[in-house]
Amino acid sequence: MLSRRSLLSRTIRRKKNHTKRIKSNKNIKNVPKEQELPNQQQEDEDNEEGFNLKSSAPSHTHGVQPLGNLYLNPGSVNSRNTGLGNLQTLTDELVLEILGLLDATHLGVLACVSKSFYVFSNHEPLWRNLVLDGLNGRFLYNGSWKSTYIAACYPLIDVSRVLVSGLKVRDFYSDYLFQSWLCANLEMKPEWLERGNIVRKKGISVEEFVMNFEEPNKPVLLEGCLDNWPASKKWNRDYLLKLCDDVPFAVGPVEMKLEDYFRYSDQVREERPLYLFDPKFAEKVPVLGSEYEVPVYFREDLFSVLGKERPDYRWIIIGPAGSGSSFHIDPNSTSAWNAVIKGSKKWVLFPPDVVPPGVHPSPDGAEVACPVSIIEWFMNFYGATKNWKKGPIECICKAGEVIFVPNGWWHLVINLEDSIAITQNYVSRRNLLNVLDFLKKPNASELVSGTKDRINLHDKFKNAIEASFPGTIEELTLKAEEKQAQQKNVSFWDSVTDSKVGAFKFSF
Amino acid sequence: MSSTGRKITLKSSDGETFEVDEAVALESQTIKHMIEDDCADNGIPLPNVTSKILSKVIEYCKKHVEAPKSDDRDRATSVDDELKAWDADFVKVDNSTLFDLILAANYLKIKSLLDLTCQTVADMFKGKTPNEIRKTVHIKNDFTPDEEEKVRRENQWAFE
Repeated sequence: MLSRRSLLSRTIRRKKNHTKRIKSNKNIKNVPKEQELPNQQQEDEDNEEGFNLKSSAPSHTHGVQPLGNLYLNPGSVNSRNTGLGNLQTLTDELVLEILGLLDATHLGVLACVSKSFYVFSNHEPLWRNLVLDGLNGRFLYNGSWKSTYIAACYPLIDVSRVLVSGLKVRDFYSDYLFQSWLCANLEMKPEWLERGNIVRKKGISVEEFVMNFEEPNKPVLLEGCLDNWPASKKWNRDYLLKLCDDVPFAVGPVEMKLEDYFRYSDQVREERPLYLFDPKFAEKVPVLGSEYEVPVYFREDLFSVLGKERPDYRWIIIGPAGSGSSFHIDPNSTSAWNAVIKGSKKWVLFPPDVVPPGVHPSPDGAEVACPVSIIEWFMNFYGATKNWKKGPIECICKAGEVIFVPNGWWHLVINLEDSIAITQNYVSRRNLLNVLDFLKKPNASELVSGTKDRINLHDKFKNAIEASFPGTIEELTLKAEEKQAQQKNVSFWDSVTDSKVGAFKFSF
Repeated sequence: MSSTGRKITLKSSDGETFEVDEAVALESQTIKHMIEDDCADNGIPLPNVTSKILSKVIEYCKKHVEAPKSDDRDRATSVDDELKAWDADFVKVDNSTLFDLILAANYLKIKSLLDLTCQTVADMFKGKTPNEIRKTVHIKNDFTPDEEEKVRRENQWAFE
């Protein structure tokens, strides 16, 4: 088997060799001895070692350097600009947007125009799009997206020529392209993995869980729930390959056989690796569905009243180190649990009223712009949260552990090694009212996810609940109103007696 | 056609002012947000856009705001064709203007103009040899002969 990367164990070993590697691979003269990455953020307190690169990425494939290096070389010319000609006034993103409109042959021709166009035309995300748009999941990953595409579309070509090349270009400085490469090749820094402040429980009763976590909407990490799962013992790569054979699974925008996906995930080195995330896994391979069971805490599953019309609710998740999800809130105001069967995941969670730094939700909640990738978020924003009063809940969830993600909580997840997990979203009586409210919203048809019939979901669900659990909604509504009335009184009293209260809600 | 006729003043980087209908100005998401945030009262300064480019952008926005939306199926295609022809003419400008338009459309967040101008540049590259492309965008070949051969071999498949 190809060696599989782990973001966890490598970082610590790499630290010592790191600075040597960065220096020797940059063809930079006149760079001060301690210089690492000149445009690194100043807030990055742990600056002594800079970043840890994955072992097989000594420097940018084509020699791209960050802009800061140009400023250290007065009189140096940026071949990015001279090679773009009239296009040099455009930003890197705009150049790439233009190139994104071209097909493979045009990119191939462009690569021969100048050093600058060579670098731009070989930008991997361009080729990734060509593969995903054009080949529909039927591709055999071949070391890079470009050579994958060429191998698939030009079968007579000796692809090793495309693979092996990689002309090193001198004097090409670009923050965007360098950053893009950097994020693809960075490992998680140890200090990003240190904090584990989530509450951990083992063997608690359902009542205790509901009272201390589900009701007050707090996350918790539960141990020992997966001990009886056949999946815990049986699920590994070989078993899954044999069991699932040629069944196509959802991977991002396409569907792929497991074998093809693993071929990709073993080799890939990119900022946002494709993630296998399939909501129909139990329908596609019923044995998978039979080898796990919902932990006892989460058995109340009110969407089940909708039967086949219920929104997507369970996923198998498989991905390599570095894959994951950047900040989001789960759809439909549901709560979730996520069980790691193999591997490990780093979680960062923020409560519903605290927007994570770097994240910009639109006012109606219809869009969440998290412009940065997971790694970039850690590089640029994680450090700032250390001093927050209402900071994030964090943990590493290992094989055999389950995390409870309460409804409305922001969360980010990154796999630290090859991982296999199961996750389910659910509605219990504790978040039933929230869910109904959410589904009632005027723009529900855009926001509601995982079902084809978005517009009627609210009514259907409400009616189905009334039919199966008559009076429940009314009972819950009354309770909620009582609680709100109580809370108002309490906080007023608090503000009168406690001189410390009256502070802000923010935590900047 | 304009109803309420509220006018917005836009100021180019070189100090010229342009008065436009609000509907026209709203084609730009950037300007739209400024108006929503109440920054528009004394005119909107656009320090990144010269008067030459701004007047072209306004011309584009005016045309697209006035274009009737295609709810009538029969009329739709001929109206679309007309607009497309107008667009094709609109981008028949020199390189430097074209790239300035891209930058302006990007800054002002006018998606259709950005799409149009980017597609125009992309089309410029199609069906040309590397040398012809160099001439089009005024580049000197900066590969050494060795490098050029290596790169050519790497991408030979694109030439066959």
